[in-house]
Amino acid sequence: MTDLKKNFKIKAKDFVRAGEISIKIQSILKSIGFDPALIRRVSICAYESEMNVVMHGGNGYFSLTVKPETIILNIKDDGPGIENIELALTEGYSTATQEYQEMGFGAGMGLPNIKKHADSFKILSGKGGGTLLTIGFKVKES
Amino acid sequence: MAKSFKNSKSVQYVRIDEKLCNGCTICMKACPTNAIRVKDHQVAQIKGVCIACGECIRVCPRGAVGAVITESHDLEERSSYAVSTSTALYAQFSDEVMPNDVLLALKKMGFINVYDQSYMSEMFNVATELYVKENLEKRSLPFPLISPICPVIIRLIAYRFPTLLKHILPLSTPRELVAREAKKELPSKGTGKSNKIRIINITPCPAKMICIKEPMLQMHSYLDGAVEIGSIYEPLKKIVHDLLHYSEDVILHFSGGIGLGWAVSGGEIAGLDMDCLAISGLGEVIQYLEKIEMGLLQDLHYVELRACIDGCLGGLFTVADKYRAKRKVERLVRMFGVEKRVKSEYVKKLYKKGWFFTVKKNPLLEKTSTYISDSQISDGIERQNRLEEILKLLPRRECGACGCPDCRTFAEDVVEGEASLADCVYLQEKKKSSNR
Repeated sequence: MTDLKKNFKIKAKDFVRAGEISIKIQSILKSIGFDPALIRRVSICAYESEMNVVMHGGNGYFSLTVKPETIILNIKDDGPGIENIELALTEGYSTATQEYQEMGFGAGMGLPNIKKHADSFKILSGKGGGTLLTIGFKVKES
Repeated sequence: MAKSFKNSKSVQYVRIDEKLCNGCTICMKACPTNAIRVKDHQVAQIKGVCIACGECIRVCPRGAVGAVITESHDLEERSSYAVSTSTALYAQFSDEVMPNDVLLALKKMGFINVYDQSYMSEMFNVATELYVKENLEKRSLPFPLISPICPVIIRLIAYRFPTLLKHILPLSTPRELVAREAKKELPSKGTGKSNKIRIINITPCPAKMICIKEPMLQMHSYLDGAVEIGSIYEPLKKIVHDLLHYSEDVILHFSGGIGLGWAVSGGEIAGLDMDCLAISGLGEVIQYLEKIEMGLLQDLHYVELRACIDGCLGGLFTVADKYRAKRKVERLVRMFGVEKRVKSEYVKKLYKKGWFFTVKKNPLLEKTSTYISDSQISDGIERQNRLEEILKLLPRRECGACGCPDCRTFAEDVVEGEASLADCVYLQEKKKSSNR
């Protein structure tokens, strides 16, 4: 049994294409035949993390791994990194510029929202060192 | 495309005339659900699930694709029919023709009774506001709610976005409410053959027939059929213009401008006092449904989605130029005033009695979203892997020569065993040149 792996590149500040990876992931999971409620959770997390990279993270990579029992999203970027992770996980805390807030982003719900919808959530980051996000979903419990 | 999508059966809605079709693939490429195939350079065939959007009918240059709809000659014996009309009908006539004239003319044509939908649309607006208000307080619903009016959108959601089914506003549509109330009233008119009276909807919509035969939001439709505006237009127009010279004091149309504006995209939400958006055209609607599915747009209370660009006036079965018709609607709205003429208190009473709600949901809706067991998930992953491998072999020129709308759909068909890699002309060419 081989797992399914897909890799995508995320381009910094590309708001025209932003969201496309999440939509691709959504359609892959749909055609495999997962429970729609699980797909919804995965796509919410995929979208939030994709937007985080587009806004703050610089260029990045997005990978999707699908196994019969788990779905894993890995998002890696070469951006400025997160200085205080605990603070970034607080609802409403935002470092988005006014420009982004005017575009409707930056409500400070990105990471907290991901954590809320994921079954497992790991974040590795430090100032100047980029960010690596691993988000996991259990298939059976959905 | 999920497997369940392809396997589900539905009423045959589109008819392809095999004598006229030359297998040109234009309809195949236009189909938003990739349901059409043109195998072996023969004629187009419907293979997947059709959401009755009518795109194939619209684009066919040879007129080979048609919708299954009540033909006007079926209505010969008019005294046994009552008609209800879409507000789009009023926009098909010149400026001096008022909605009441159109309704009177229909009556003159011999239909036993004529029902206008615009007043009910205003009542529906009030009921929508009541429902949203009630649930905003409880916070018990997923927002935004989606308008149940467009039958194509309902099918699109059921097949492609099943998680959004619970977003659909659970009220009966104005056309169904009108038909339901008419059915209550008609037998009491004592025509002698009361049980034979059928209610026909005059419509610009290619999907109306399918939502009558196979309704998704309720068990049965109260309508008995649909005729296209085009098929009844010429005789109707003649009577309308004759009528303009007489003064008639029968009033059949009661609504204000809000109810008359419904035929245009944005017309439904014009009557709503809440945060809402109107989106029209299938391509854009799909983009917005994807956004809603990802949990975006939760700040909105209601979205009006229409499959046809510019709303029902952009429907396939209209007669007048869409932009002229739009102008006519705007004129009517100004003339009748941007306000509802319904009495809110009265609607509130009906609403509390459950008057607007559908009695029972159709199980068809739930069928589309079946949970798949673990073993099928492994199969699904394997299928997806094979699909990706096949896609790597394909040229991605999306030429359609294989008889599938694009390379991805072709790969899906190969995985399902419904097509063979040998059908790809590029792969064949490559093989030939490497053999030389």
